[in-house]
Formats: sequence, C-alpha cells, structure tokens
Amino acid sequence: MMNADYQSLLPLIVLSAGATILMLQIAFRRGIVLTATLTTFVLLLAACSVVPAASSIPRLVTPLLQADHIALLFCALFCVAAAVTTVLSIDYLGQRGDQPEEYFLLLVLSTLGACVLAYATHFASLLLGMELMSVALYALIAYPDKSVLPLEAAVKYLVLSGAASASILFGFALLYAATGTLEFVELGRQLGAIPSGDLMLLVASFMIISGIGFKLSLVPFHAWTPDVYDGAPAPITGFLASVSKAAIFIVLLRWFIEADLFRYSILIESITIIAVISMLVGNLLALLQKNIKRMLAYSSIAHMGYLLIILVVSSDSNYRALATEAGIYYLVAYTATTLAAFGLLTMISARHTVRENVQLDDVHGLFWHQPLLASLMLVSLLSLAGIPLTAGFIAKFYLFNVAITGYYWILLASLVIGSSIGIYYYLRVVFYMTRWGDEQQSTLSLVNRPLARIISCALIASILLLGIIPQPLMEYLKSIT
Amino acid sequence: MIEVLFYSASVIALLATILALTRSNAAHALIYLIVSLLAIAVLFFLMGAPFAAALEILIYAGAIMVLFVFVIMMLNLGEVGEAQERGWLSVKSWILPGIMAALLFIELLIALSISSEQTIALTSGVAVPPKEVAMSLFGPYVLAVEIASMLLLAGLVGAYHLGRRFIVRREGVHEGGDS
Repeated sequence: MMNADYQSLLPLIVLSAGATILMLQIAFRRGIVLTATLTTFVLLLAACSVVPAASSIPRLVTPLLQADHIALLFCALFCVAAAVTTVLSIDYLGQRGDQPEEYFLLLVLSTLGACVLAYATHFASLLLGMELMSVALYALIAYPDKSVLPLEAAVKYLVLSGAASASILFGFALLYAATGTLEFVELGRQLGAIPSGDLMLLVASFMIISGIGFKLSLVPFHAWTPDVYDGAPAPITGFLASVSKAAIFIVLLRWFIEADLFRYSILIESITIIAVISMLVGNLLALLQKNIKRMLAYSSIAHMGYLLIILVVSSDSNYRALATEAGIYYLVAYTATTLAAFGLLTMISARHTVRENVQLDDVHGLFWHQPLLASLMLVSLLSLAGIPLTAGFIAKFYLFNVAITGYYWILLASLVIGSSIGIYYYLRVVFYMTRWGDEQQSTLSLVNRPLARIISCALIASILLLGIIPQPLMEYLKSIT
Repeated sequence: MIEVLFYSASVIALLATILALTRSNAAHALIYLIVSLLAIAVLFFLMGAPFAAALEILIYAGAIMVLFVFVIMMLNLGEVGEAQERGWLSVKSWILPGIMAALLFIELLIALSISSEQTIALTSGVAVPPKEVAMSLFGPYVLAVEIASMLLLAGLVGAYHLGRRFIVRREGVHEGGDS
C-alpha cells in the first residue's frame, strides 16, 4: 500500500489507533471522565481526519475498500454521532454498573465497523464491518448490569442478528459460486453472463434481502425492533437506530449501484412491496404505543421504508444521481433527528437505574419545568413528522420530489398516508409535554449538566439549520453524486 | 470416483447435522456435530482445499468441541452424572456416529491414494496450498485481517464485561464486598 492509500483511510486508522490507546488507558488507569474525554477526542479527530483524506480520493484501496466522497462523508457523520452518544452517556452510565469504561471502547469499535461499511466494496469487508458493528453493539446493549431488560434485549438481538448474518453469508456464498468473485464491480460484470432467471441467483438474492431486511428492521423482518429498542440503554438505542441503520443502508446502496443490480426487475418489485408494507405497518403499529421508545422503534421501521424509495427510484439511471443525493440527505437528517430524540430520553432517564422514563406519562408537563429539553424533543419530533423549518421536512420533500419525477405513484401514496399517520402520534407526545399539571414533576429528577445543555442546543441548531438553510449540504451532495 | 466420494461425504454431513439437531441429549448431539464437521472437512479436501480441511478439523472439530465437552462435563457432577455418562456409552448410542466416522476415514484414505491430479479435478483443478492462502491473506486482504483483529477485540472486551457481572456477584457472596 502506498502513502496515498493510508491517507485515504485516515478515519479508519485514527479510530483503530484510538481503540488501542483507549484499551491501554483503561488497563492502566480507570476513570469515566478520563475515558469519555479521550473517546470524544478520538472520535472528533477521526471526523476531522476526513479533510486530509479527501485530497487523495477517489481511490480503490486493496480490493476491499473504496475511498470516495460518500464514504468520507458518512465516516464523519458516524464519528460525530458517536461523539454525541459518548457525551450523552457519561451521566447515564455513571449511575449504572461499576466499570463503565469499556463501554466507550466498545462504542469506538462499533463506530469503526460502521465506517468500514461506508467504505466497503467487497463482500469480505461488508461482512467484517457489519459483524464488528453488531458484536460491539451486543455488548453495549447488555452493558448496564443493574436491570434485566438490557440483557434480554441483547440476547434477542444477538440470536436474530446472528441468524441474519448467517443468511447474508449463505447468500454471498451462492453468489460466489455462481460468479466466482466477491467484488461488487466485478460481480456486476459477471452477472451479465448469467441469465436473469437463474435459480441460484434467485435464492441468493432472497437470502441476502431477508438478512439485510432484518438489519434494517423492515417489515416482515421487524419483530425484534420494539423489544430491542425498549430494552437497550437509551443512548445506545439512539446509536443503533441512527448509525447502524445508515451504515447498512449506505453499503446496500453502494452494492446495488456498483454491481448494477437494478437490472433485475423482480428484485426491484420485491423491494417496492417491502417498502410499502414497512411504511404502512410501521406507522400503524406506532399509533398503538404508550412507550415513547417503542413508538420510535415502529417509526424507525416506517422511516426505513421511506428510504427504500431511494433504491427503487435509482433503478432508472436518469434519476440515480438525484435519488442518491436524496438518500444521503435523508440519512444525515434522520441521524441528527434520531440522536436528538433518544438524547432527550437519555437525559430524563439518567437517574433512574431500574427502569427508564420512557412512558408517555413521564414527559407529562415537561415543557413547563424543562423548556430546553422539551424543545429538543419538540424539534426532533417535528423533524421526524416532516414539518417545515426542520431537517425532516427537506428530507421528506426530497423523497416526494424523487418519487414524483420517477412516477412511482404507489410508493408516493404510501409515503403520504404514512406521513399523515405519523403526524398524529408524533404530535401526541408534544401534547403530553405541554399539558399543565405538576403531579408528575416530583418523579423526574433531571440532569442539569452544562454539557447536556450544550449538546441539546447543538442538536436543535443542527436540525433547524439543515431545515432552514439546506443549500450548502445540497450543493455539496450534488457535486459528489 | 471422486463424485462418489463427494456425494457420500455430503450425505453423511447432511444426515449427521439432522441427527445433531434432533437429539434431545446434548452429548449425543455433540458427537453428531463432530461427525458433520469431519464430513465437511472431507468435502473441503476433495475440492482442493486441504488447508481449509485441516483448519476445519483443528478449530471446529478440535478446539471448539473440546470447549463444549468441558461445559457438559462441568454441568454433570457427582454420582448421578457418572451413571448418566455410563448410560451414554451403550453400543446403541455410539455405533452410528462410529460407522459414519469410519466411512469418512476410508474416504480420506481412498482420496489420498488416488493420484493428486484426479483428487482435485472436482472443481477448479488447482489445490490451494497453505502458502498461497497466507500470500493472499497478507497481500490484497491484509485490511480484512486488521478489521478481523478489531472484531476479536470487540468480542473479547464484550465477553469480559458480560462475564464479569457473575464473577463480581460470586465474590460479593463470599467476601461481602466488591472487587
């Protein structure tokens, strides 16, 4: 490998070196503040290292990794998201478990896995990145050792995610048997020689789609989502819902584009069906929830359904650039919004070690005694619902635009129906927050750290900025797609 | 000839796996699992991957199975356990896996006795020696090795933390304090 190769992989190198340093630091001297500070520093450094890395792309580094603008953009996004998660976790973890330091090491490793996925252009790196991300997540979900719920969630996630990985691996093996290659681009070339109705390809794609569908929690592979979201510690739920979903989606998009899988109409049709039922089922089930975490879990199913529109529209090569642009914008907006929503849940549950404060009643009247935290929740819910002046509005507007230009009326109809159902249950939380009455006030003992306030302000600002002045990011996305 | 060897090993692998899944006794299931792994190793060998075959036996049938057996040994302590183990050693329970393993051994001997050109004719016609595996592992795939090392680190740290809560609890019972 040459110098330029190393340079283009700078974020990965910083994260790996950071993980090693963290491990040594924990071995020699324990201290949650020290470890958390070092973790935040490593993650922010990795996010900044994208800038020098950008001077030596695009470049294929070994057959495994493709360094390009999209990979670097998502590396930066994941690192920043992980840094926010780190800061949110300090107070939360201080109350749970007596050795909280490894948590941060695992978080860095999970972020490294997500960044590898952003670069992956080969089945080996895809699988390794995915496993690195999920193995660290199993331990992170089960991390708090004073209650049983996280352990139950982790076991569920471990078994089902392991089965999904096995199914994906089996699919890759069949594809390898049919084509003799594991590289995305080469795979696309080899697939041209095989008739499209080939049974082996059909079985392989079925297995891979069901595995990926599980990882993205799409209907009908969604059953694990509410339980795992509910049981996992709130900051990790935020990380799981934003970073791991975005990483899987971006590698899926890269695979479809580089191997040109859009030529298989049966694949696109089945994705359309999955998208439509994910949007409808996710939103309908979210209506029934009294627990905010479970509600957000179902809403994330619906949001992944919205995202699949991008894949379907990309099948027309005329709209592919626009669709990719919309997809990336959606992922950025969704990551910021999800982190904000789970950030609030983290902050109001930090002091309650047995059970988190995630019922609708727990936010009763939040507006009147914690206006800043309540406005964080308000902004993120409005953004999830797609109300103007927030990031979610621009993202949804992009999706409408893409679906209309491609004449995908069925997808558009379910997007409209899904979004309108969504407004009801998102605004219900806002309604609870603004209710007058202080009988619940005493049960909430909130964190009042300046750090938490800074993070809240930063998240509110980023969501509003993405919604009010989206042009800089849009211009940048246009230039790289 | 090679095809006959291949298909008989595949049948043994499938049969042993099905039997492993349907046994209600964990020890019996393990024995069938070992046979199934041995059969897969023979398949690898027939397809021109002797190195993968050796690893399959060393790591899966060897190391991982020894761990399983250790766990089962630790779970069955005392007189009752011994009587139970004696029961497991009846001819009925070991004869089938024994026959399967013997068949696989005969297959391996036949495969070794046929000239090497024929042995490897089943797929690509090229046997992959360990050196070649190492060359590609530390050549184009070196980054995969690095990422895998991070994966191991994540697994190790996670297992340490999750296992620790039980150790701490036990110490707490004996000494009345935490570590």
